Amino acid sequence: MPVMSYKSFKLALAGIVLLAVAGCDKVNETPAANAGGDTKPAATGGDTTTAANRPASTGEGNTATGDTIPIGIVASMSGPQQPWGVDCVNGAKLAVDEFNKAGGINGKKVILFPMDDASKADQGKSAVEKLIGDNKVLAIIGEVASGITLQMAPTCQAKGVPDVAVGATRDEITDIGNEIFRVCYTDALQGPVMAQFAYKDLGLRKVAMMTDKTQPYSTGLSKSFAAAFTKLGGTIVKEEFYETGQTQFTAQLTNLQKLNPEGVFASGYFPEVGPMVKQAADDGMKIPFFGGDGWDTNNIAQTGGKAIIGDYYCNHYTNDEKSPEVQNFLTKWTAAYNSKPATAMGALGYDATAVVLNGLKNAKGLNSKDLRDAIDNTVDFKGVTGSITLKGHHGDPPKRALVVQVQPQGTIFKAAIDPSQLTN
Amino acid sequence: MLAGLDFRTLPEQVVNGLFLGAIYALIALGYTMVYGVLKLINFAHGEVYMLGAYFALFTSYALGFGPNSTTTQSSVWNLLLMLLVSMVACAIIGVIIERLAYRPMRKSSRISALITAIGVSLFLQYCGALFLPNSPPPSISENVNPYRGSTRLTLVPASSQLQKLANDAKPAAKQADDAYAAYMAAHPKADEFSLPPDGQTLRDAKLEADRKAQDAQSQADTSAVSITIRYGELIIFMTSMVLMALLTYLVMFTKRGRAMRAVSHDFDSAALMGVNVDNIITFTFIVGSALAGAGAMMQATFKGTTMTTFFGLLPGVKAFVAAVLGGIGNIPGAVLGGLLMGVAETLVTWAGYSRWSDAVAFVILIAVLLLRPGGLLGSSKVEKV
Repeated sequence: MPVMSYKSFKLALAGIVLLAVAGCDKVNETPAANAGGDTKPAATGGDTTTAANRPASTGEGNTATGDTIPIGIVASMSGPQQPWGVDCVNGAKLAVDEFNKAGGINGKKVILFPMDDASKADQGKSAVEKLIGDNKVLAIIGEVASGITLQMAPTCQAKGVPDVAVGATRDEITDIGNEIFRVCYTDALQGPVMAQFAYKDLGLRKVAMMTDKTQPYSTGLSKSFAAAFTKLGGTIVKEEFYETGQTQFTAQLTNLQKLNPEGVFASGYFPEVGPMVKQAADDGMKIPFFGGDGWDTNNIAQTGGKAIIGDYYCNHYTNDEKSPEVQNFLTKWTAAYNSKPATAMGALGYDATAVVLNGLKNAKGLNSKDLRDAIDNTVDFKGVTGSITLKGHHGDPPKRALVVQVQPQGTIFKAAIDPSQLTN
Repeated sequence: MLAGLDFRTLPEQVVNGLFLGAIYALIALGYTMVYGVLKLINFAHGEVYMLGAYFALFTSYALGFGPNSTTTQSSVWNLLLMLLVSMVACAIIGVIIERLAYRPMRKSSRISALITAIGVSLFLQYCGALFLPNSPPPSISENVNPYRGSTRLTLVPASSQLQKLANDAKPAAKQADDAYAAYMAAHPKADEFSLPPDGQTLRDAKLEADRKAQDAQSQADTSAVSITIRYGELIIFMTSMVLMALLTYLVMFTKRGRAMRAVSHDFDSAALMGVNVDNIITFTFIVGSALAGAGAMMQATFKGTTMTTFFGLLPGVKAFVAAVLGGIGNIPGAVLGGLLMGVAETLVTWAGYSRWSDAVAFVILIAVLLLRPGGLLGSSKVEKV
C-alpha cells in the first residue's frame, strides 16, 4: 500500500484545484472591464482608421409589429456586481419613461425588458438569446462588465440586433462586428489620461505601480499608463504585483518605499486597493495613490479609510460635476428613486438607453437594421457622461474621461480630459 | 538575475515575512489538528475563517462602528470583544460542521469524507453569498482599531554626509511650500489644477523644490538599515504567539491534550483505553476553529481586508500548504510551516519577483511532496491505508 498519505495529498491537490476553479469566476468578476487580454498601449478612444473593418452582420434582426417597441437590457441585478447592474437598469428605466412621456414614436411606446445575468457571462448570453428570440427586441443595452459583454456580443452580431454596451471598456469588444457599440471610453484612454494628470497636474516625475497580475484589466491599464507616463518624460521606478484576494501588501510596499516614489499608480480593483492604501499609510508613506475606474464604488472611502481621502481615479461620471446635463440628470434621478446614483453606471445606463432611443427617432423604420444604421450615425449626442459620437468611430465614441478625487462623502470632480487634449 | 537585490531591506522583509506567516500558522494549526485526529483534510476550514471575519464585522457594527458611523473613539476592550466573539462563534460553527457533515461520514471511505469537506466549503461560500453582505465588499472600519501607524527601528543609521545634504535641501523646499500656500490662501477660489500663470509658476517651483528635497532625503534613507514595525502586525504576531503557547500547553500538559494525542496516534486503541473519541474530536474542532476565528478577526481588523464569502479561499489554500510543509498532523510543524511560507513569500517579492510570490506556495508544496512527503517535522513512517 502507498507510502504515508500520498493518496490524501493527491486528493487534497485535486481539492485545491476544485476550490480555486469554483471560486475564481466569482472572485475575479468586478465591474467595468474584466477578463482576458491586454489593451493596446497609448491609443486613444475612437479609432477611426479601422472603422471599415468591422464585419457586417448577416442576421435578420427584429421588427416592431404591435403598437409597442421592445428594447432589452441585460444587467447584473444579482451577484457580486449588483450595485452596478441595479444602477444601470434604473438609469435605463429613467430614459425610457422620459421618452414615453414625450410621446414615443408616433404614439408607439417603448417597453423595456430587463434581464438579470447574475453577474455571470453565460447567463448574459442566454439572456440575450431569450430577449431576441422571445421578446423580439429591436436592440439590446448592456453589459456593464467586459467579460459578460464579450459573451453577449457575438449573439447580437449573429442575429443582427444592435447592442449598446454600458460600461465595457475592454478595447476589442467593438471588433466583434458592426452591431456592437458602447457609450463608455476604452481602457486605452484611461492610462494616458491618468499619466497626463499625474505628470502635468500633480507634477509627479517618479511613479511606482501596483498591478493585480490576475486581472487583465489591471495589467493592461498599467502597461498603457507606463507607456504614456514614460513618453511624457516621467520614470516608472518599479512595478510590483499582487493578486486578487491578497490581503497583505507589506512586502511590496517595503520595496516601493525604499525607492521613494512620488506617487503610486494602483491599477487594480478597489477591494485590494483600499487595504493597500491603508497599509501604505501605516508604513508612513505620504504620497498620492491614483488609479482607473476599477476604483469606482460608493464605499471606496470606507474601504480605503482615511488614507485614501484625497487620492484620484479616472471615471466616466461623477455626481459632483456642475454641468447642466449632470445636474438635470441628478434632479430626475432623485425625483424617481429618492437618492443619488451610487456608481457611474446609473449615468452610463441612462446614456446607452438614450442613444438607442435617439436612434429610434432617426431610424427610417422600426426594425433592428434601420435602428443599427441610426445608432451608427449618432453624432454629438449630448449625454450625461459627455458628448457621444459613434459615426465613423468603430463603435467606440471618443469620450472624455473625468479625474475625480475621493472624499469622505463620495467623489469630487477634479478635471475632465478629452482624448484630443492628450499630448501624445 | 539577483543583481537588483537590496540587502538593506532584507531584515525588514524577513520581519514582514514572519508577521505574514503568523496568520498562516494560526490557520494551518486547524488543518493539522483535524488531520491529526481524523485523517481528514478539512477543506471547510478556510470558510470557518471567512465566517470569523464576518462575525468580527458584525460585532464592530454592534459596537457602533457601522459603515456610516462617525465614532472614532475605540479601545482595546472593543478589540478583545471582537476577538472573543469571533473565536466563540467560529468554535460553534466548527462543531456544527463536524456534527452535521463529518460525523455521519466517519465510517465511510476517506474520499467520501474529503468530498464532503469540499461540499461544505462550497456550500458555505455560495450560501453565505445569499445572506452575508458581500457586494460591494464590506470591511471593518479602521476607527475600531486604536493601534494604527508604525514605528521605525534603526539598525544602521543613515550616512551623516547624505543626511546633511538632505537637511540642507529642506529650507528651500519649505520656503517654496510657504510661498505657494500663501498664494493659495490669498486666492481661496483658485483651483490647484488650473491656476493663473503667476500661481502656476509658484506651484511649479514648489513641486521642483519638494522633489529635490525628497531625492536627497531618499538617498539618505536608503543608506540606512531599518525595520518598520506596524503596530497592527505586532499585535497579530504577539496574539498568535500567545495563542500558540496556550495550545501547546493544552496539548502537551493537560489530560484532554493527552487524550487528543492518543486519538491522533491510534484512533481505535484510544477508544479501547476509555478515551471518549467523539468528545475529543469535537474538542479538536473547537480549538482549531477558534484559532481560525482569531486569525480572521485580526486580519480583517488590522489589515483592513475587504470581505466576500471567498475571503477564506486564498489564505486557506496557503495555510494548507504550510501545514503540509511542516508535516501535516504535527502541531509545531504547522507553526514552522506557516512562518516559513510567510518568509518565502516576502523574500520572493524582495528579490523583485512579486509576480511569482503566490506561485512560491505551490512550488514549495510540490518540492515537499517530492522530496519529503512527510513534511519537515512530520514522520515519514509508512502508513497503512
